[in-house]
Amino acid sequence: MTKPRPMQLVTLTLLALGLTAAPLLAQGKTFKVGVPLPLTGAEAKFGEMEKQAYEMALDEINAKGGVKGTKLALDIQDSGGKPETATAIVEKFITIDKYPIVVGEYSSQCSYAVAGVAEKYKVPYLVVTGAADKITQQGWKNVYRLNPPASLYNLGVFNFFENVAKPKTIAILYENTDFGTSTSKAMKEYCDAHGVNVVLSEGYQAGGVDFKPILQKVKSLRPDIVYMVSYLMDASLLMRQSKELDLNPQAFIGGGAGHTLPEFLQNAAEASEYCMSATLWTPQVKYPGAKEFFDNFKKKFDKEPDYHGVEAYAAAYVLADTLKRAKSFTADDIRTALAETNMMTAFGPVKFVSWGQFTNQNRMDTLVLQVINRKFETVWPKEGASAKYVFPAPHWRDRK
Amino acid sequence: MSPQVAGQLELLGQVLISGILLGGLYSLIGLGMSLIMGVMKIINLAHGELMMVAMYITFWAFTLAMIDPYVSLLIVFPLMFLLGVSVQKFLLTPVMEADTVLPQNQVLLTVGLGLVLSNLALLLFTANYRSVPVSYASKTIYWDLKLGGQTISLSFSYPFLLAFGIAGVLGASLFLFLAKTDTGRMIRATAQDKRAAALMGINTKRITYITFGLGAALVGAAGALLDPVYYLYPQIGGPFTNKAFVITILGGLGDIPGAVLGGLVLGLAESLGSVYISLGYKDAFGFIIFVLVLIFMPRGLLGRGRA
Repeated sequence: MTKPRPMQLVTLTLLALGLTAAPLLAQGKTFKVGVPLPLTGAEAKFGEMEKQAYEMALDEINAKGGVKGTKLALDIQDSGGKPETATAIVEKFITIDKYPIVVGEYSSQCSYAVAGVAEKYKVPYLVVTGAADKITQQGWKNVYRLNPPASLYNLGVFNFFENVAKPKTIAILYENTDFGTSTSKAMKEYCDAHGVNVVLSEGYQAGGVDFKPILQKVKSLRPDIVYMVSYLMDASLLMRQSKELDLNPQAFIGGGAGHTLPEFLQNAAEASEYCMSATLWTPQVKYPGAKEFFDNFKKKFDKEPDYHGVEAYAAAYVLADTLKRAKSFTADDIRTALAETNMMTAFGPVKFVSWGQFTNQNRMDTLVLQVINRKFETVWPKEGASAKYVFPAPHWRDRK
Repeated sequence: MSPQVAGQLELLGQVLISGILLGGLYSLIGLGMSLIMGVMKIINLAHGELMMVAMYITFWAFTLAMIDPYVSLLIVFPLMFLLGVSVQKFLLTPVMEADTVLPQNQVLLTVGLGLVLSNLALLLFTANYRSVPVSYASKTIYWDLKLGGQTISLSFSYPFLLAFGIAGVLGASLFLFLAKTDTGRMIRATAQDKRAAALMGINTKRITYITFGLGAALVGAAGALLDPVYYLYPQIGGPFTNKAFVITILGGLGDIPGAVLGGLVLGLAESLGSVYISLGYKDAFGFIIFVLVLIFMPRGLLGRGRA
């Protein structure tokens, strides 16, 4: 059953207010960018982190004089993590507020919906965290993506498989969302092509209380690797319940998202130890500004940012850079400038390229991290590693 | 017996154990809703949100005062009872008495209440996911069973087992309360026929307060028991309201033993379905049974509820 949410009413009210206020704001020396984000609903945690990161970046940019003497401002609106709400917000951004560029959203579902709207109105849209492959596989000319597509999240893990793990069997559990399906599909295709036997591949509905039945089934199949694509709390529960069942593969590997968040360490506690995960970014990467971002964010908001935070932070810098190079603040000129982006950010190098089915897609290396002594350590590739990997992981019953 | 057969038996045994233990918690969630349904004749669509409130009380009691979730039941139960009584007294009763509000629209008030509660929690406690990291969260009791020369190793999660036991005690206490005490009899009388109960001198208004209070306290207890094994965030209520609704229909509207059975059936359906059919459709199994029961047994599994 879907219930109407009060935030929708608030949004409507704001919409009505926005109608009257928009012409007034346009006269000031600020440039406004529309950003839909999930500030309520199950994804609100990520929406909030991204909002803080955007605002932090903007404060820094504006403190240095903004763009060509114009201050940047974000019009962040709550989508509740629902594609239909995100669509409505962006329709309003483009047709009523006349914003010439749209940035943001969190989930793949919402980003995909927003991308469709942006393409329809020929307004450039910078995707920041939505990872499903299909978003940049439509041949859309107005959609640019900062983060790598889900199928490439695993590059680091594949490399680790070839050089270290050399698994024979694998069990795959994934959340049946766009992100989970894309990431696990890429893993499955890799395994099929490289002679790794996929003994089980099951999608699940997020938010389950008890995963023990399926984990027991995994246990009975004795795979070398258990690969999971989960959001935050499912990731913790899966690990805790694996420990309860004494399920002992050579390694538990997460596909990013849930297994890379600071909360994972707290919630899964000792069950998180030695769990590995694909990740896009850690504070240990060598990109300029990465460590500063991490430290400043932690100081300012009293919590650790993960790669979603740095993606938003980098997106704000890409935006500022694009606007600096744009001939004018119209959708066409901004699109041209965005396409020519070639810069370094705290998240990594950003350059939009097209290959295979992908268009306007940023491409970058991905890493593997592992929880060692209840801390995230970068363990692969070796060159950037902050600690040596522990593989195979010791059995639960053998640990202290 | 071959190792393969033993492996399959072990899987089946583990799945049944998981299903029944989870079902015990579900039953407790369903009991409260069924009780409210029986007396007030409305579905309380803020049921899951009430549970969320209890989960936050337990969380804060643990975080701020290091009170164990099971001990905090002693705080949660009375607090949730008071909350339930206030909701009935100040929100539901005035609406139920207004002739201009159609009876089916009273349900909408509970929807609104749920939204207010979850958004209030969002405002006060932020959207962060929390958990209650008790030391025994993943403690497990193993039971090795020798069968035909093979060993079948079954594991029982300690917090789930404890939750099941407490849920059982609470359920049994509710039966005794309804069967043996004067107040319990008055609740049953009001559920059977409100007007006749009033004519017999029962203060039915007071009974509705007590009933809603009890319903809230029961689901609150379920929330406290769920905390060590699950996690909490402001919007956690919705899915559990749905589950409670399914359980109540399975059991038959207002049928208390039926709600217990409904909870167990839902727990088993989810757990068996996720292994032997498909994990992705886990939530669908409950609803499939729900629809089948509505079509073929509209008075619930025990055939005693209202159609």
